[in-house]
Amino acid sequence: MTIDTAPQSLTRKERQFDRRSLLIGTGAALAGLVSFPYLRRALQMKAAVFVASNQRYDGPLEQTIREGLIASGLEPTGLHGKKVLLKPNLVEPSRLAPQMTTHPAVILAAAEVFRGWGAHVVVGEGPGHVRDTEMALIESGVDEALDTARLEFADLNYSQLGWVKNSGRASNLKGFYFPRQVIEADLIVSMPKMKTHHWVGYTAALKNLYGVIPGIKYGWPKNVLHYAGIPESVYDINASLPKTIAIVDGILAMEGDGPIMGSAKPMGLLVIGGNSTAVDATVGRIMGFDPARISYLKLAANRLGPVDEHCVEQRGETWQSVAHPFTIIDSPHLQELRAPGVLISSWGLPKRAGCQLACRAPAAQVGV
Amino acid sequence: MNWLDDVVTRLAAADSWGYHGESPSATEPTALSALALLAHRRDQAAARPIAWLLSQQAADGSLGIDAAQSTPGWPTSLAVLAWQAAHGTSLASSKYSTAIQRAVTWILQIQGSHVEQTDVMGHDSTIRGWPWVEGTHSWVEPTAMHLLALKHTGHSDHIRARDAVRLLQNRLLESGGCNYGNTVVFGQQLRPHVQPTGLALLALAGEDDVTGHVQKSVDYLERELPRQAATESLCYGLLGLAAQRALPAAADAWLGAASRRILSRGPSSYKLALLALAASGAACPLIPATQARATS
Repeated sequence: MTIDTAPQSLTRKERQFDRRSLLIGTGAALAGLVSFPYLRRALQMKAAVFVASNQRYDGPLEQTIREGLIASGLEPTGLHGKKVLLKPNLVEPSRLAPQMTTHPAVILAAAEVFRGWGAHVVVGEGPGHVRDTEMALIESGVDEALDTARLEFADLNYSQLGWVKNSGRASNLKGFYFPRQVIEADLIVSMPKMKTHHWVGYTAALKNLYGVIPGIKYGWPKNVLHYAGIPESVYDINASLPKTIAIVDGILAMEGDGPIMGSAKPMGLLVIGGNSTAVDATVGRIMGFDPARISYLKLAANRLGPVDEHCVEQRGETWQSVAHPFTIIDSPHLQELRAPGVLISSWGLPKRAGCQLACRAPAAQVGV
Repeated sequence: MNWLDDVVTRLAAADSWGYHGESPSATEPTALSALALLAHRRDQAAARPIAWLLSQQAADGSLGIDAAQSTPGWPTSLAVLAWQAAHGTSLASSKYSTAIQRAVTWILQIQGSHVEQTDVMGHDSTIRGWPWVEGTHSWVEPTAMHLLALKHTGHSDHIRARDAVRLLQNRLLESGGCNYGNTVVFGQQLRPHVQPTGLALLALAGEDDVTGHVQKSVDYLERELPRQAATESLCYGLLGLAAQRALPAAADAWLGAASRRILSRGPSSYKLALLALAASGAACPLIPATQARATS
């Protein structure tokens, strides 16, 4: 398997710099080095992201996903015999809100692609707001899809646990209890929905991996993570997991009061990439955000992957050609995340919710 | 053999009690299995899961989620309910009294973390309940579980029990039902879920419905359950309705259908136990005594 989350497009001369030693080198030396544009570029990671437009749930998704994965750097021959865990977003499925959760057609298509390449595929999720995983599967339509395709499902909220050291250390968590299926996976495919998020701006591949954290140990919601800091724990989880890639369901997306109560926004997009940070940066640009202002992407930038537009190589459609700004809640902590010059309407709120930014921190501890 | 006999027979034959077919014993499914077996007068079969629970109690009185994970301690409440239910049976033993006393002492020491009240959230974040994990906020399900443990062990009037009642009442949505514990966020009422609603109504049995939200929650469950196929949600929904004296006539048929579904997929002790408990209706040992008196 040769999915590469390390710098992909560096020249031989640039590769003479060891990325890790540069990133964690002494502060004074680093500060001096980055004042030179050439060296600053050398510090930045690069990755390819594939964007497909005009996608439909009843369309040829398997073909799109296969082409997208290859275009973004995946080498299929390396997947033979490997364990691939598909991680959709099934946070609290409701038949009334299909824009909240990953569509089963996307999950099935991805499963068929990886099966076709000889991988052992398991679909796994630990819904964040509901203890009844069977209900989450039924309401999302995923249960029927799993049966049809004879796909194995791992209930990540109630699996056997193993402890993994926190490799990110942005939060004060020393490590994570991950489900066995997560620890043993050779590749984790984050399959989020493209959604706004009323605490952190938007959610895609990185934030979706909150769902590998077991509720039985962290609660419903996984409140331990909220207390540790949402952006910090998003970064830490991703830094501590086995290799991850991303397939984002942006066919029917969510805008407004996401990630639960927002409105449907048809976009017709799939965004695919071998580096989740680069994928999330691209998703943000499509949605009208400035990824450099998103708290968890600030932590991930050039540690987990590239955020800078010049370091994300666009394959398929350009993000500019499919961009359509998403409405967001009219609250300062979200409005400041918009990309400069983007004019979009705000999502209205009843009067009593006209909160001030000062209230954000304690409220975030009660999750959603 | 009808579906319930099949379920109880399988449960009685189990030698481990896990969340999934092949998974090892965990505290919650073990406690629920013991309660289900006791509800169906299978005392001798209940002795093994009850003994397993005793073996898991830590020095501080708590029980973790399974033998490998001694924290968090939220399943302690369920172990208390199982030991308490054994008191009135042929299994009665002074060992249970001691274990219950130690567990209740631990339960009363634990409380959810205070979160500053803001106008972003609709619920009263200052009311004390129980968290899933120590050091975090109070949520509906652990608060309901611990309230049930206190009510069943004669602590209904304890201030923590009264706080828990207030918390659960506060977390019911204006339109009925509740979810994990948030009501309104950024001005929008969130969606209710069946399982926590059923558990909250179970714990609130016998309490005054001053706001009318309990009745609205009963109405919500009555609307939702006819189309509810998932075992946990169906069972907790029915237990909530039974505790509020509103058990629907179709309950047995729904449970039978759910049992066929899970038996075809490799059943777990957890789901078998929930089916058997829900089938015991108003006689379910989870329903607090005040309600049991009212229905007898």
